[in-house]
Amino acid sequence: MPNDYSLQELMAIVLARDLKDGEVLRVGVAMPVVEAAVRLAHLRHGPNMELIFLGARMNVAHLYSLPMPAFGWDRRVVRWAESYSDTGHRFERLKDWHNHVFFIGGVQVDPYGNTNLIGVGPDYHQLRFRGPGSVGTPTLSTHVGRYYIVLNSHTPRIFVERCDYISSYGWGTGGADARRRVGLPGGGPKYCVTPLCVMDFADDTKRLRLHSLHAGVSEAEVRAQTGFALQTSTPIATTEPPSAEELHTLRTRVDPTGFLRR
Amino acid sequence: MAYEKGFCVNGTERQPRIIDEVEAASWVQNGMTLAVGSPAPMALLRHLIRRGVKDLTVIDSGLSLDLLIAAGCVRKVVSYYAGGGFGVPVAPSFRRAVERGEIEVWECEEGILTTGLQAAAQALPFLPWRGGVGTSLPEVNPDLKVFLDPLNGETLLAVPPLKPDVTLLHAAAADAYGNVQHLGGPGWIDLFLYRAADRTVVQVERVIANEEIRANPWATTIAGADAIVRAPYGSLSLSQLSVYFRLCLPSLSLSQLSVYL
Repeated sequence: MPNDYSLQELMAIVLARDLKDGEVLRVGVAMPVVEAAVRLAHLRHGPNMELIFLGARMNVAHLYSLPMPAFGWDRRVVRWAESYSDTGHRFERLKDWHNHVFFIGGVQVDPYGNTNLIGVGPDYHQLRFRGPGSVGTPTLSTHVGRYYIVLNSHTPRIFVERCDYISSYGWGTGGADARRRVGLPGGGPKYCVTPLCVMDFADDTKRLRLHSLHAGVSEAEVRAQTGFALQTSTPIATTEPPSAEELHTLRTRVDPTGFLRR
Repeated sequence: MAYEKGFCVNGTERQPRIIDEVEAASWVQNGMTLAVGSPAPMALLRHLIRRGVKDLTVIDSGLSLDLLIAAGCVRKVVSYYAGGGFGVPVAPSFRRAVERGEIEVWECEEGILTTGLQAAAQALPFLPWRGGVGTSLPEVNPDLKVFLDPLNGETLLAVPPLKPDVTLLHAAAADAYGNVQHLGGPGWIDLFLYRAADRTVVQVERVIANEEIRANPWATTIAGADAIVRAPYGSLSLSQLSVYFRLCLPSLSLSQLSVYL
């Protein structure tokens, strides 16, 4: 069975492994891989985690399973909340967000992990593609202890040398002090997880670096699908495949209906 | 000496604030700034659209925003998010209208939006916010100014007041005098929109007696709505059904709810 997993399942398991007990996990909208990852981490090794789905905060360590949402504020999920918070009140204790973790997507990502949800096109008043907007990502990415960039596809259209617009500042123009320079308190992006590989940020330059390739993916393929030069750590690791236990837990307790296998 | 029912001051009584959808919709004139709460006050929005109001600056997100754009009511959007969640990454009318240059966008995000609403509510020329520092937001939205704070020299954004002419909301109950009680949570952003606006109309599932409000004053979320519109089921069809019954109609029993779910 461990050889027979979907890429989305692998991405969820990779993310789940990196989440620590006691952390507060903030999940936005429309990211099935992330929905699965936080559930898996919580049920496997995080009884003191808090899960926040669009302002619905919960701990469901006592449950065998928590359903995946069919839409944003799915009643089957938010019924387990211990508290709700609305758009403005969510940001009232930003000073305490060191152990909060966030997950972000983007229509463009640059070599320093800056992301764009605004749109694509050189002229802001005549965009070729209008994105959904920043939602709360500028504030979240400014203040959380760390965040992950999670993408459903890995193409040169997404990984670009320069974002047309930056809606979340990752590591700016690079350098270990890139965030301190502009006064952003949070820890910035840690990993970028795609269907091809896991990337991290080099300690000194904070430039995206190939961390591990998913089984069956070549370095050449990743380079061809990335619109800028990618550093590599040598030797390049293979992403540790799901263990039988991880897959079993994911499929029986997190995603029994196969959301991530479609 | 007890006051008796119907006690008058100088021959006048406290004025009730109940109006109907048609009158409420007439409060919104061409070119105004309109804020729309969540859950969306669909009964009022339908009348706005029917009246053919034009050139609105709209503070809204999601599908009710998209409906107003599709109906041609909108010139400018104060937008932090215009998507529909799973399967609808970008709201289609918003995307089309922006790409064609038919509407303007006042680009922001959740923290900046609520900061601007707070500044309006407190009659301040601006309030500072950190989220957005380092991003393109102040470039694509010149109303957001990067500044150094005068105390410690930190880089921040100055967010100007965002002041709706009219805010339209949906809630569970209100009395005739504008005392509103949301149930099951005060909406996503409703209280910010109310505090910032010149005038607020709240459509409600039920109009209740002033005595019912007095029985639980802590439950009053909006103390001075300018008008109340009776609109049972008035947030359908854009509010998800399961959420709808949880937030708007908690007085129904589970067995009554099961008819709908």
